[in-house]
Amino acid sequence: MNSIAKKRNFITIFTKGDIFSKLSYIVLGLANIRNGQIGKGLLFALMQALYITFMVLAGGRNLANLTTLGESLQHMEFNEAIGIYEVKPGDNSMLILLYGVVAVVISVAFIALWLFSIHSGENARVRRKSGKHVNSLVEDIRSLTNENVHMLLLSLPVLGLSTFTVMPLFYMILMAFTNYDQEHQPPGNLFDWVGLENFGKLLSAGDRLSATFWPVLGWTLIWGFAATFTCYFGGMVLAMIINSKGIKFKKFWRTIFVITMAIPSFITLRVVATMLGERGIFNVLLQQWGFTVKALPFLSNTTWARFSVILVNFWIGVPVTMLMVSGILMNIPEELYESAKLDGAGPFTMFRKITFPYMWFVTTPYLIANLISNFNNFNTIYFMTGGEPNTLEYFKGAGKTDLLVTWLYKLTKDSNDYNLAATIGIIIFAISAVFTLISFSRSGAMKNEEGFQ
Amino acid sequence: MNRKTVIGLNLDYQLKSLIGAVIGVVSLLLPFARTGEKSYSAISLFGRLISSDASSKAVVLLYAAVVLTVISLLLGALSAVKTTVQGIKAWMVIQAVATAAWTLLMFSTKSILEKAGLANGFLNKDLMAGYFIGLVAAYFTLVMVMKMTKTNVGYIALTILGIIWMFPILWIVLTAFRAEQGYYVGYFIPHGFTFDNFLKLFSADAVLPFRRWWVNTLIVAAASCVCNTLIVLGTSFTLSRTRFTGRKAFMNVLMIIGMFPGFMSLIAVYNILKGLGLNQSLLALIIVGAAGAAMGYHVSKGFFDTIPKAIDEAAIIDGASRLQIFTHITLPLSKSIIVYTVLGAFLGAWSDYIFPSMLFGDKQSSYTVAVGLYWLTDFRRIDTYYTQFAAGAVIVAVPIVILFIWLQRFYVEGLSGSVKG
Repeated sequence: MNSIAKKRNFITIFTKGDIFSKLSYIVLGLANIRNGQIGKGLLFALMQALYITFMVLAGGRNLANLTTLGESLQHMEFNEAIGIYEVKPGDNSMLILLYGVVAVVISVAFIALWLFSIHSGENARVRRKSGKHVNSLVEDIRSLTNENVHMLLLSLPVLGLSTFTVMPLFYMILMAFTNYDQEHQPPGNLFDWVGLENFGKLLSAGDRLSATFWPVLGWTLIWGFAATFTCYFGGMVLAMIINSKGIKFKKFWRTIFVITMAIPSFITLRVVATMLGERGIFNVLLQQWGFTVKALPFLSNTTWARFSVILVNFWIGVPVTMLMVSGILMNIPEELYESAKLDGAGPFTMFRKITFPYMWFVTTPYLIANLISNFNNFNTIYFMTGGEPNTLEYFKGAGKTDLLVTWLYKLTKDSNDYNLAATIGIIIFAISAVFTLISFSRSGAMKNEEGFQ
Repeated sequence: MNRKTVIGLNLDYQLKSLIGAVIGVVSLLLPFARTGEKSYSAISLFGRLISSDASSKAVVLLYAAVVLTVISLLLGALSAVKTTVQGIKAWMVIQAVATAAWTLLMFSTKSILEKAGLANGFLNKDLMAGYFIGLVAAYFTLVMVMKMTKTNVGYIALTILGIIWMFPILWIVLTAFRAEQGYYVGYFIPHGFTFDNFLKLFSADAVLPFRRWWVNTLIVAAASCVCNTLIVLGTSFTLSRTRFTGRKAFMNVLMIIGMFPGFMSLIAVYNILKGLGLNQSLLALIIVGAAGAAMGYHVSKGFFDTIPKAIDEAAIIDGASRLQIFTHITLPLSKSIIVYTVLGAFLGAWSDYIFPSMLFGDKQSSYTVAVGLYWLTDFRRIDTYYTQFAAGAVIVAVPIVILFIWLQRFYVEGLSGSVKG
């Protein structure tokens, strides 16, 4: 790309440009057409025409509706012709919000196109003025396989992400600031903006919701740390045993553990959940083996259930860590161990002084990513306990093993409190963001260390 | 001190092994278990049980523990007189079996004693010092003998852990072949074996459209293998090997999106799909999967980062375009990461539950296997369908396990490559 055009921003392009450049701020693509890129210029103009048509036909109204989220309520009206009351449909706040979000996203995309066309026009102008070759449309398309390959390869992901991830996410985030709960369900009812009220209810002390939120958050954090570190150390120890010298049939041993990983987790989790039930096989066997007289409340007592899910997660998570760690263990320089052995270090000292610091150094980012994904470990909890045991202490369907995410899911699926679900989603985001920032500062420090030796 | 030396053995542990073996034999004479007022030693139990005929099969374990512990001491004494590698190895094998018997006694003493009419309502807390000393001595001796033969002690841990890890899986497999229907059975090993559970799932007149679910999942899995892999590899190649304005910003946006819980937006996705007229269709599942696939670029980007830049530069000098570098140079060098990504996409289709369950609602004919199988484990249906559920689980698991074992090497390489980067 031309360096002069690159230095300009969209204000300087306007002040320095000719009349076509200035006009292309209003009619997209004029500068391109003037400077020999007729096809490209027409394309820009066409896109603009499409956008304006969309806004006139629907988008403008959708955006305007966003401020109120609908005003006319569904109501009964007397139809004199037939002589009965009829349902008159009112506004559907949910659809208004959704269409509004679509209009916003399309507008943002248009602004991006606008900026892009201005830069592209300026680029063409500068090149033409300095007598360089101006790319034709065909050449531009051909450049997609070369210097602009990112546009080719990323266009599909960007399109997909903005339609099915960014837009829905934006929609749900907005929902956190509405009162779209059980009592405000469209189409029968309208919902409206309420500002930060939902956050207030969840976070402030004294509210019934906050009396549920804080304990659930506490268990989420405990679970996250317990699940991550048990699997991390378990997997590391297992990998060290399998990879240690003198163990034959390494592949066989690895396979035994990897099988749990290969079976889809919802199957193993459902099976283990049925095995842990009051009349499940574990209780049957424990009684037959003489360990206990009564059935143990593996999943029905709060403390038992919490330990059970951590244990089952250990069973599922250790092989994953084991596989990952195996690769890293092989990278530890063998000389370190040999010289340690010469100095008379035992296996435990070697682990403490060599293996563990090395692993810790390499895997910190992985560990933090793992921690975040465990805070959001929907599968284990949902398929194992479904959040049970239930309790009267908690509000809105939360159970004693519910994490924030599973509670979020219940709020959307069972009680339709979308506003609370969205608020919890934002809080989860905040927690994840904090840990990610920690991870970043850690890995920055590590880069300066420049390798463990 | 005048030490004997034998090549292949470490005789420093011989004395400890012998002490362990002696303690093992002594423990046979100590009280083993109590029933009511009375307590028995292992030897006295041995004597009583061998002469009575009302005994369970598990009594073999008691015999084995007693006999092998004695033999172990004899072998130990023998090898102290004349130390040979074969002698110690034989001792190790005997001791290993004895240790297994001692361990299993913890699970079978109840049935041994009750079948023999010696106890009623026996609990393991009635096991006495004789048992626990014997157990510890068995492990101690085994470890010492293994150290003597320079065998890795890790085998003991691996065996125990392996059994624990395989236990639930064995249960699924056994249940899948169980002839007796129902969820609540009071025994581990089925009384009758049958293939019916599998046949029922696939029979044409089955109540459950399992065949349909299976085909649906296969379609989704195959399609998302292709789409997701192309998108993930394309994205990570671009982010790893090319530099362009907005690259960092793009990665940051992806990271921020990734910090929101994924299914928070499912309701909205569902409404959008409804607007597009795609709800309750398999196509929607494939499209949504592919649309979000780019989020998982990290592992393959990390892998691409490890390929030297010089290769690309040389290719550019030779006149290759970026796209050609991707298809002709980077991809052929990245077999393990391709396999990793394909495998991930394939597995994802089999195990994804939340979105399909929300998407399909009660439209059973488009369920995937995951949704269908989960539907079977609902408490209203679990008793009727438990064995069929297990059979379905086995059918799903077998191909994946085979794939996994076959491609394990690539999986490890792909993962560790990413961590290095």
